[in-house]
Amino acid sequence: MRRRTAAVGIAVLGLGALTACGGGGSTGGPIDSRGPIDIWYSNNEQELAWGQQLVEAWNAEHPDEQITAQEIPAGRSSEEVLGAAIAAGTAPCLVFNTAPAAVGQFAKQGGLLDLAQFEGGAAYIEERSGDLAAQYATADGQYFQLPWKSNPVQIFYNRELFAEAGIDPDDPPLATYDEFLETARTIVDSGAAPYAIWPAPTSEFFQIQFDFLPLYAAETGGTPLLDGEDSTFASEEGLAVAEFWHTLYEDGLAGNEKYTGDAFADGQAAMSIVGPWAIAVYEDVDWGVAPVPTSHGMSADEIWTFSDAKNVGLYRACDHPATAWEVLKFATSVEQDGKLLELTGQMPLRRDLAETYADYFAANPDYVAFGEQAARVVEVPTSPNTVAMLQALRDAWSGSVIFGGPDADLRQALEDAAAKFDDLARQP
Amino acid sequence: MTATATTPAAVTPRRPRRKPLGANPLGILFSAPYLVFVIAIFAFPLAFSVYMAFHDYFFTAPGFEADRPFVGFDNFRNVLTDPLVWRSFGNVGIFLLINVPLTVVLSLVLATALNRIVHARAFYRVAFYVPYVTASVAVVAVWLFLFNGDGLVNTLLGPLAPDPSWLVNSGLAMPTIALFVTWKGLGFYILLYLAALQAVPKELYESAQMDGAGKVRSFFSVTVPSVRPATLLVVLLSTITGANLFTEPYLLTSGGGPDGASVSPALLIYQRGIQQGTPDTAAAIGVLLVILVLVVAWLQRRFVGGEGR
Amino acid sequence: MSRVQTTLRYVVLTIGAIAFLFPFYYMFIGSLQAEPDPTIAGAFPNPANLTGENYVEINERINLGIGLLNSGIFTCGVILGTVVFGALAGYALAILHWRGRGVTFALALLVQVVPFQLLMIPLYVLIARDYGLADTHLGMILPFLINSSAVIIFRQYFIGIPRDIFEAARIDGAGELRLLWNVALPLVRPALLTVVLLTFIGPWNEFLWPFLITKDEALQPLAVSLANYIANVAATASNPFGASLAGAFVLAVPAVTLFIVFQRYFTSTNLGSGVKG
Repeated sequence: MRRRTAAVGIAVLGLGALTACGGGGSTGGPIDSRGPIDIWYSNNEQELAWGQQLVEAWNAEHPDEQITAQEIPAGRSSEEVLGAAIAAGTAPCLVFNTAPAAVGQFAKQGGLLDLAQFEGGAAYIEERSGDLAAQYATADGQYFQLPWKSNPVQIFYNRELFAEAGIDPDDPPLATYDEFLETARTIVDSGAAPYAIWPAPTSEFFQIQFDFLPLYAAETGGTPLLDGEDSTFASEEGLAVAEFWHTLYEDGLAGNEKYTGDAFADGQAAMSIVGPWAIAVYEDVDWGVAPVPTSHGMSADEIWTFSDAKNVGLYRACDHPATAWEVLKFATSVEQDGKLLELTGQMPLRRDLAETYADYFAANPDYVAFGEQAARVVEVPTSPNTVAMLQALRDAWSGSVIFGGPDADLRQALEDAAAKFDDLARQP
Repeated sequence: MTATATTPAAVTPRRPRRKPLGANPLGILFSAPYLVFVIAIFAFPLAFSVYMAFHDYFFTAPGFEADRPFVGFDNFRNVLTDPLVWRSFGNVGIFLLINVPLTVVLSLVLATALNRIVHARAFYRVAFYVPYVTASVAVVAVWLFLFNGDGLVNTLLGPLAPDPSWLVNSGLAMPTIALFVTWKGLGFYILLYLAALQAVPKELYESAQMDGAGKVRSFFSVTVPSVRPATLLVVLLSTITGANLFTEPYLLTSGGGPDGASVSPALLIYQRGIQQGTPDTAAAIGVLLVILVLVVAWLQRRFVGGEGR
Repeated sequence: MSRVQTTLRYVVLTIGAIAFLFPFYYMFIGSLQAEPDPTIAGAFPNPANLTGENYVEINERINLGIGLLNSGIFTCGVILGTVVFGALAGYALAILHWRGRGVTFALALLVQVVPFQLLMIPLYVLIARDYGLADTHLGMILPFLINSSAVIIFRQYFIGIPRDIFEAARIDGAGELRLLWNVALPLVRPALLTVVLLTFIGPWNEFLWPFLITKDEALQPLAVSLANYIANVAATASNPFGASLAGAFVLAVPAVTLFIVFQRYFTSTNLGSGVKG
């Protein structure tokens, strides 16, 4: 009998010991180590094509530093996969799909390496991205992400549906809030489409990036949500944006239920607010594009918007960081950025984009608007608590703007969210 | 039967021997694989979660040093002063108030009917079980479509249709989810009741009939008491499943519905722990949830249960 | 048994059956439509609108066959572990007396109470880092290997077996394992089936854990691929709603078929005859 208890006890202890000895996790290699690396990129068709040619090009020249690549499903859960991988030490060297909102958190976990510690690291990033680079650095000048590509958010409109509603498809009145609302009413009243515009009304934290954020950026001429440790959006401009969207929802011009699929592509909404990656989805729609509206109208070259950027992180679990850094520079060279542009239509976060790739834009006039917009994009804060902040803002938005009813106190909702922001910004 | 007359006498002297591993230690061997599994896969992570709830904790990459001090009840204080957390527990309460009684009543009624009929039994059994075996992921799309603003249900209801529509209605979102989960889970509970009903001795019904009881009377005086253990099981299981509700709020009302109307504690744990990187807060919510469920389960056992053990 | 009551029973059951089956019917019809039709007429579709195109489309993006295979491996692994080890544990809890019996039962109950999301990341660190099982089928199966509800159900059924049967067999000289295999198990066949069907649901439905533990698409169960498809890719299909429903239907069919095949074993008359003999 005693032997049996002992046997079971030993088995349990043995199991406990097993948990102590590492199996799959890596603590990473020294910063100057070179050798084979692994990378992840998103499985979006176009990005896949770009990623594959990148790996082939590099591997051909570097037989001792081969890249192994894997796709991760893009989309809302990729941050969770990355967070878990960091904790387990199973993250790859480079992830070509790191969302800026999660970078602060990953850095706090110690999962990312500061790119500025490589020789000429900070200079390389600032040289490539110019003024926009500052948004991606921490207060101490550390770069835990390399700003890679953006998808400047603009308003797509369905030219056919607009024509049907009697609006001029070549120059639709979408510049001021009043014009936009009027256009929206015309569309819905004429029956051309059930809704004028249909951003996702659900409560995930990242949805706030596609209704509030772009218009707030435009209205304030490029002010981010957080300045140092203070939130900025409980202001008159923030309120104006909130009231605009509130009217859209109250008057039935924007859908407040989740649509399975893409409402714009299916003709259920006459407009959509998204970046150029969607052009591949909209190939059957005769679309036009306009900058996001502002309360009193601005000229197109003054309007800012949300970047919807995806960046690249270099993860601590990497055994050969030096190689990873070289690959990173290779992947963001003029040539590779050009290929990215050609294959995916997304905008490399590079300054002087229009000049550097003038040929491309000449050949693809559809993308010219985005190319110009790419110089004026705003990013989400780089705090470790960004996701929690965005969630708090989204909850406040959902409760007041989308579902608050006609008497919703938008000002109070914004102020409450701002208070939470300030709180979270001050937490380490 | 003569053999059994001697065994009672043989049983009593066993007690004073007091074996260290109990009368039949083979039991330990039989349940060893399960025990090892539970300890490795649940006890360790659970203990770790409790540990996290009392510290300022976040997961770090291996090899990275970070300061994660003990903070006593701070996390619990934060959680208990967060109105969204209270809302989530309230939502689960609403859910359980609808789901549990509905489940018990409907599954018992349907199981009783199913037990008595002669034709097409297989068809009905399959029909009721089909939602249970289908992945929520698969069925949610249809449900969303049906309960849409201009979906089938609202079209049928005409002027009675609620506005805003079901899943985007602050007051109706959780009840709609409760309806979905009840529908989906009923098949399993019907089977539980079926098995219990088939074990009820016919003699009881016959004697009730002889006493002049009609069908309805005998249902309430014979059937219901006889399946009490099964009822307790149904109540307990549906309560526990309901308290841990995650998939349906996640899929049907991604992110928690209008104004947090369908946030559940498990959804909050997911958001705070995994999306926002604050597993300490999530663990605090989790610990509170577990304690609450245990209390409720204990209460249910006292008031509903006959012989549970 | 009067005719009125019989008819009433059938009416109640039929209404129930329709309520339960209608969403599936709708799923099936929806998956065959070229253009989604949200009106009532959509439930009785125009033959001109029918097409198998949705199935082809979704199969191009996510390999339905491989997804089903992975779902099958995952689920079978769990069912095997649960039936073998769960029956052993349930028997031990019900029939045998041993030290730690109460604690084990309490643990089995506690396991069900704790939400999985609470344990997900520590489990991931344990399984991916410490055991090195990321991107493997075993890593997927491990947290679900022995379903605690099944243990409790086994225990429940084993308790229901009258003790005389055991005494009689013990007197005939049977050891515990013989007792379990030859006497107890056959008597609780409904329990076995209940357990299989109950245990089936967890891994079949599960989309969070396999998503976390596997990055390789060739290893992902269909529930995961479908969840990802609906969330991210569907928009690029010509009929996103139809394509999603096509995937959903493929996911549902094996489960339903399995149940149709095995549901006839659900009568528990065996138990009664064991006592009378």
